[in-house]
Amino acid sequence: MVSESVLFGPGFWGPVVATAALLLITAVGWLILIGGRRITKAKPSAGKIQTYACGETLKAEEAHVDSEQFFSTISRVFRPFYRYVRPGHTGVLSTYLFWVVVGLIIILAAIAVVLR
Amino acid sequence: MIPHAPILAIVLPLFAAFLMPVVGILARRRGIKRAREWFAIAAVLVELVIVVSMLPVVWGEQILVYQLGGWQPPWGINLAIDGLNLFVAVIVAGISALVVIYSFVCMERDTGLDQYYTLLFLILAGMMGVALTGDIFNLYVFFEIMCISSYALVAFRRKWQSIEASIKYLIVSSLGTSFILLGIALLYGMVGSLNIAHLAQKLPLEPTSAIIVPLALFVTGFGIKIAMVPLHMWQPDAYQAAPSAVAALFSGATATIGIYAMVRVVYTLFGAFAIGIMLAALGLVTMVLGALMALTQRDLKRLLAYSCISQIGYVLLGIGLGTVLGVQGGLFHLFNNAIYKTMLFMIAGAIIYRVGTSNMDRLGGLWKNMPVTAMLFGVGALAISGVPPFNGFASKWTIYVAGIEAGQPVFTIIALIMSALTLAYFLKALNSIFLGQRPTHLKNVKETPLFMLFPIVLLAALCVIFGVLPQLGIDIVRPAQEALMNSGGYISAVLGGA
Amino acid sequence: MDFNYIIAMLLVALGLYCLLLKRNLIKIIIGLAVLTDGIHLFLISLGYRAGGIAAIVSGEMLSDLSGFAARAVDPIPQALVLTSIVINICIVAFALSLAIYSYRHYGTLDPSKLRRLKE
Repeated sequence: MVSESVLFGPGFWGPVVATAALLLITAVGWLILIGGRRITKAKPSAGKIQTYACGETLKAEEAHVDSEQFFSTISRVFRPFYRYVRPGHTGVLSTYLFWVVVGLIIILAAIAVVLR
Repeated sequence: MIPHAPILAIVLPLFAAFLMPVVGILARRRGIKRAREWFAIAAVLVELVIVVSMLPVVWGEQILVYQLGGWQPPWGINLAIDGLNLFVAVIVAGISALVVIYSFVCMERDTGLDQYYTLLFLILAGMMGVALTGDIFNLYVFFEIMCISSYALVAFRRKWQSIEASIKYLIVSSLGTSFILLGIALLYGMVGSLNIAHLAQKLPLEPTSAIIVPLALFVTGFGIKIAMVPLHMWQPDAYQAAPSAVAALFSGATATIGIYAMVRVVYTLFGAFAIGIMLAALGLVTMVLGALMALTQRDLKRLLAYSCISQIGYVLLGIGLGTVLGVQGGLFHLFNNAIYKTMLFMIAGAIIYRVGTSNMDRLGGLWKNMPVTAMLFGVGALAISGVPPFNGFASKWTIYVAGIEAGQPVFTIIALIMSALTLAYFLKALNSIFLGQRPTHLKNVKETPLFMLFPIVLLAALCVIFGVLPQLGIDIVRPAQEALMNSGGYISAVLGGA
Repeated sequence: MDFNYIIAMLLVALGLYCLLLKRNLIKIIIGLAVLTDGIHLFLISLGYRAGGIAAIVSGEMLSDLSGFAARAVDPIPQALVLTSIVINICIVAFALSLAIYSYRHYGTLDPSKLRRLKE
């Protein structure tokens, strides 16, 4: 039944066509980018390219996004998770074992409910 | 097919493992450099050839039954190889071959490499045994061989983090395997047989209430190995602390074996297609938790470990749906996950090899130093997030469609959101490691060594091939899916006229 | 007969109690050993038959195989337990050596102090 082409529901998906289209669009985008390049030369002054860090001087090499806070906006959406579940990963062996036993009980209950 | 291929596939790595120290000693005495590494590569390639040689027979709708010592099942131990077994065996042998090639450079600064290769081949022997055997206790023994060797490999460097991770992994995982042993004991007490096919034939005669406890014990035991929530906590620790080559092997091959054992026991042995919905729900929780935890990690290998948990959630979701399309999608995702997760761990290892750290706060701007590695990481990141034209897209799409067709659109929507989060945390990793400002101490970092790059490039090529030609992937997966859904055929093929 | 099963389950429960509530790595490892021994006792009790004979076929029994099968104990659980004991020895030995190393690195056997890898 799903022999000639991968049947992905209603619609059309041809991987080769899509790849070609992706490459084509990339090329077009690249051309637009090149076409829109500014002709005047940028003249940055030292003050303009400096990063504002509340008055502290910050070397460009040392500026780095903190990888834990990288998606702080997204993590705010899932706040309950980061408040309750994340600290649950305490790194203590007894917690791990406790959750294994809890998992066994959950699975036991779920199987008992489903098979009944 | 090579004669006696099924048993050779198990015995060869076992012998190679114990020959490794001998080869090491001889090489030192004769002054041959790197004989042990070349021996390991040769052995693992022969293993791959043996496994692949079984493909034509099994894909021709035939189930290979190899009786050890000529004893008829259910009395003797037998190896039974259908599409699913061989699918898993091919993944395991392929990933192991690439990992051994990768270890050539990756592990060259470590001492005690005789033991390293011995343990690596013991894991391979254990995995092959689990993948090919048709006997539940045999499966348990090989599973234990695999587990014990992997504890030792996590602790291989004997630094504080390796010891801590290994001891947590050991105790949690041993509790899980003792659950499996208890499950086997209960089954034996009930039916009086250990052959999977014979058990599958006899179990439907038992009352349903009797199989609840052993089934739960098995699911929990194998669930620990595949890091199903809430049994997942050991995994980030172990993957972060293990040497990168070992982490690549675990994420690609060992997780696959865990899924195989779970599916074989739940679907073939117990015939419990009804609990698929529970597996799908657990897979959903696993997927969400893995993705959200990965979002805030600082260490690349820990991020990849949580991402591994998340991807296994997709596999469980697909397999748990229980429809033809769902199982195909789940197994195809398992195959793809083995490809790109191994590749990403290998890239993490390359970064550690060149820079010495995988802490993303201490990296940055590395694309100027290692452009090829950066590009390959980009390929892996896009593939794992399911962006066309890479392979992750095809399998994830199959799972989404299967979710809608099975009447579970909510599952599909959550899976889609988690896919977007996957892209988010991989973009974070890409940005923190390869883009942005380069710290001054990274100025002299060189490109990854060629020999180390070779397996990564090979895997990246596979990512593109299966993305552009998903039909090829589905063709590989279909025999496995048909074998999984046809447990009656398995039983009659193994028991034959008996 | 039933006494065996009760003791086996008690041992399993004791092992779980040790694993969950003890705050010492050595005790946790002992708990693991006790738990698996409980399972071994359970397995061996499955094949036990009061007054049974060893399942070794010797000369005079070959003539009366069905009578032999009716009197002999089930040999399979014994083989299973033997294998499992060997595996368990490996695990316990390895766990103890890891405990020694963790004492060297952390200066303690308290598992709640071994938590530098977390979240």
